[in-house]
Amino acid sequence: MRVDIKGFTKPLVESLVAIVIGILVGAIILAFSGYSPAEAYIALFNGALGSKYGLAMTLSSATPIILTALTFGIGARTGLFNIGGEGTVYFGAIMAIILTNLWGNVLMGLFGGILAGMAWMAIPAILKVLRGVNEVVSTIMLNWMAYFIALYIVLQKIPNPEDPNKTLAVPVSARFPIIMKGTELSWAFAISVIAALITYYILWHTELGYELRVSGYNERAARYGGINPKKAIIWSFLLGGIMSGLAGATEVMGRPPSYAISQGMANIYGYGFDGIGVSLVGRNHPLGIIFSGIFFGMLRAGATSMQIEAGVPLEMVKVVQGVIVVTIAIPGLLDLLKKVVRR
Amino acid sequence: MEEVPIIEMKGIVKVYPDGTKALKGVDFSVKKGEIHGLLGENGAGKTTLMKILSGMLHPTGGKIFVNGKEVRFKSPADALANGIGMVHQHFTLVDVFDGLHNIILGMEGHGLFSKIDVEKAKEKLQKLMDELNFQVPLDVPVEKLPVGVQQRIEILKTLYRDVDVLILDEPTAVLTPIEVKELFEVLRKLKSQGKTIIFISHKLREVMEITDRVTVLRKGELIGTVNTRETTPKELAKMMVGREVVLKIEKPPKEAGKPVLEVKDLWVKGDRGEDAVKGLTFEVRAGEIFGIAGVEGNGQTELIEAISGLRKVEKGKVILNGKDITGRPPRELYDLGMAHIPEDRIHMGLVIEMSVAENSILGLHWRKAFRGPLGLIRWDKVKEHAAKLVRDFEVSVPSIEAPAKSLSGGNQQKLIVAREVSKEPEFIIASQPTRGVDVASTEYIRNYLIKLRNENKAVLLVSADLDEVLQLSDRMAIIYEGKFVGIVKPEEVTEEQIGLMMGGIKNES
Ligand SMILES: Nc1ncnc2c1ncn2[C@@H]1O[C@H](COP(=O)(O)OP(=O)(O)OP(=O)(O)O)[C@@H](O)[C@H]1O
Ligand SMILES: [Mg+2]
Repeated sequence: MRVDIKGFTKPLVESLVAIVIGILVGAIILAFSGYSPAEAYIALFNGALGSKYGLAMTLSSATPIILTALTFGIGARTGLFNIGGEGTVYFGAIMAIILTNLWGNVLMGLFGGILAGMAWMAIPAILKVLRGVNEVVSTIMLNWMAYFIALYIVLQKIPNPEDPNKTLAVPVSARFPIIMKGTELSWAFAISVIAALITYYILWHTELGYELRVSGYNERAARYGGINPKKAIIWSFLLGGIMSGLAGATEVMGRPPSYAISQGMANIYGYGFDGIGVSLVGRNHPLGIIFSGIFFGMLRAGATSMQIEAGVPLEMVKVVQGVIVVTIAIPGLLDLLKKVVRR
Repeated sequence: MEEVPIIEMKGIVKVYPDGTKALKGVDFSVKKGEIHGLLGENGAGKTTLMKILSGMLHPTGGKIFVNGKEVRFKSPADALANGIGMVHQHFTLVDVFDGLHNIILGMEGHGLFSKIDVEKAKEKLQKLMDELNFQVPLDVPVEKLPVGVQQRIEILKTLYRDVDVLILDEPTAVLTPIEVKELFEVLRKLKSQGKTIIFISHKLREVMEITDRVTVLRKGELIGTVNTRETTPKELAKMMVGREVVLKIEKPPKEAGKPVLEVKDLWVKGDRGEDAVKGLTFEVRAGEIFGIAGVEGNGQTELIEAISGLRKVEKGKVILNGKDITGRPPRELYDLGMAHIPEDRIHMGLVIEMSVAENSILGLHWRKAFRGPLGLIRWDKVKEHAAKLVRDFEVSVPSIEAPAKSLSGGNQQKLIVAREVSKEPEFIIASQPTRGVDVASTEYIRNYLIKLRNENKAVLLVSADLDEVLQLSDRMAIIYEGKFVGIVKPEEVTEEQIGLMMGGIKNES
């Protein structure tokens, strides 16, 4: 099908304007804090885009957040405010480690991520369908539960006997090949892009996707149209679960051999939350999410050089990033709020 | 000497963001104290013109004068400040608020930080209602009120803001004849108080009865303004359509066949848990139009929803072609040959954010014709289908990719009707099938329902428009408080008798 250009231009322009505003506000904050905004931004963009290495870092940072953004995006497009991606990532990563250590190949790892993601997201789905529990409440609580359960597994069940600071790593035979030597960019990035494309296809080109979108817009019209909104809710959660599960799996399978979940899970923490921002900036559209995911990846990748070259402390980098994210996310949030209020 | 018109719009142009030229330079002028009718086919631009006058939309070009002074409205509040208020085609009340709070909502001095002087507001409203003899309950959440009453609240809400010019966009579409009469009395009273009223309707009879002058639009252009006394319905129809219109409904006599739908001792609850349908029993036969007349809110909605699988049946049975379908989901019913034109087009019949093409397959999207391998939808086939619906029913759309919300009210309705009959049903529920539809299309839809009947299909018609029920039905039931007051043949009763029955009074003859 021809891509509907008209429908895309307005959100695209809005998101671009927001990016510019975000960068400007960030500049003002930098200036007030006594740094040179120009220097800082040059360092950031240079670090993220100025070299092959930077580019590779950008794309590898984009990989997990594109996937977690898809979780939120699928939810938003189908009438759910699903913020359970965060907890799902942990289990995707853990399950991928366990299965690849039993059967050392890539498919088992991906399968583990998918399986864990679906299983964990089935919980808020069932709660909503059977008991009418609001998904915002359930997914927030489940994120906390996931954190402590995962922490327990990481510390007690799959520690690395040789390095107590880490879990077992995914065996080399089950890792994604690195695309560019010396960087962390692996073919896992392709998985995230393919997942986004498949999501687009499912939502806009299949009967299931049609039913999911109709339910998302208008539950009464869905019922009238012969659609079972409960079925739609369950599918939306499961598809979302797959994406965040994959985010965890590709993370532990993608990065170079010594990589594994660290003791406090700091290295896989936060992807689910970042994904919300990525999705909003991408207007909850899978294709938009690819681009906004890369943009966010760029911010992450550039942060280090901003710190090194412009002397901006990492905290400041985070503030600037936060401002950009919030500004960019505002149009998306407004859209969503309008919808939620109307409900 | 010519007196200055209270409203003067000059050369109004409106181009919507998607490029649709809704108004192409329209002049429109209204005299103080008159009731001015605004006529035109679906999509002619009536709502657009009035939204501009009431500050909801900004014109692309043209000027607006109020009492000879040029104005520029940035928002509806600006228009209100100039004494202009509008009651919309689709209501804008907050469902869970009661009448009083809906009316004072958003008024200056009732903001977040100022204390709401509810007592004073109530007093003022009561006075207004007494003057007009136009009562509504103020303390009931509006979602629990019948549409006719909701509309009164909308009107009071506008009047409460002290408007001089009241714009009513198709106010009678949702009303029964008696309610229309009552509304007209209020309008006459308002006129005698010196208010100016702009009245949009597709019903020529109403326009002839209530208006002083009439302006006709066609495809975004002004055709002319005439004095009502000097014109005829025929001439108005010709102005609207651009050619002589011969409107007639032909309904040859026909013997009804076997029962297609059987309803047995059906009990259904309403949203508040009250019994809304109380033990109804009837059948709709092949080759028959079975009509249900009644004041809205007497159980029609619940009855239809129960039959069409959208609402729980408490007790009793629904049988379609001999098969018990009680409690079965809509999808199964559609596969068994049911189609349903729902009364609520915005919230049920359409997904207004989605395109015309996407809406054209709602409820038949699983059919083989649209299905490719792997559960893919064949959008090429869907578009062909949508294009055909639009062509056959002359639905005027910017494009089939345009969202349904960019269609005019009547065109939305036509799209739904077109889609439902495209299901080639054995049994069709037509609930308010011509609500908001223009004269020509109304006749088309009515003739189509008769055609279905002639092809031996069964039609269940529910309508607040008594003429429609009388004209189309082979048999008709009058519903009152969830029960049938009687089942009659239209030719065997007078309108007066039906009027009484609609009030719950049984025929003694
Ligand atoms: N939001 C919108 N975006 C694009 N086009 C629109 C929009 N709203 C209305 N239109 C188009 O403008 C034209 C005039 O619409 P309008 O609603 O004013 O018609 P109308 O005379 O009120 O018709 P009806 O009798 O069916 O209510 C139509 O062609 C319609 O498709
Ligand atoms: Mg209109």
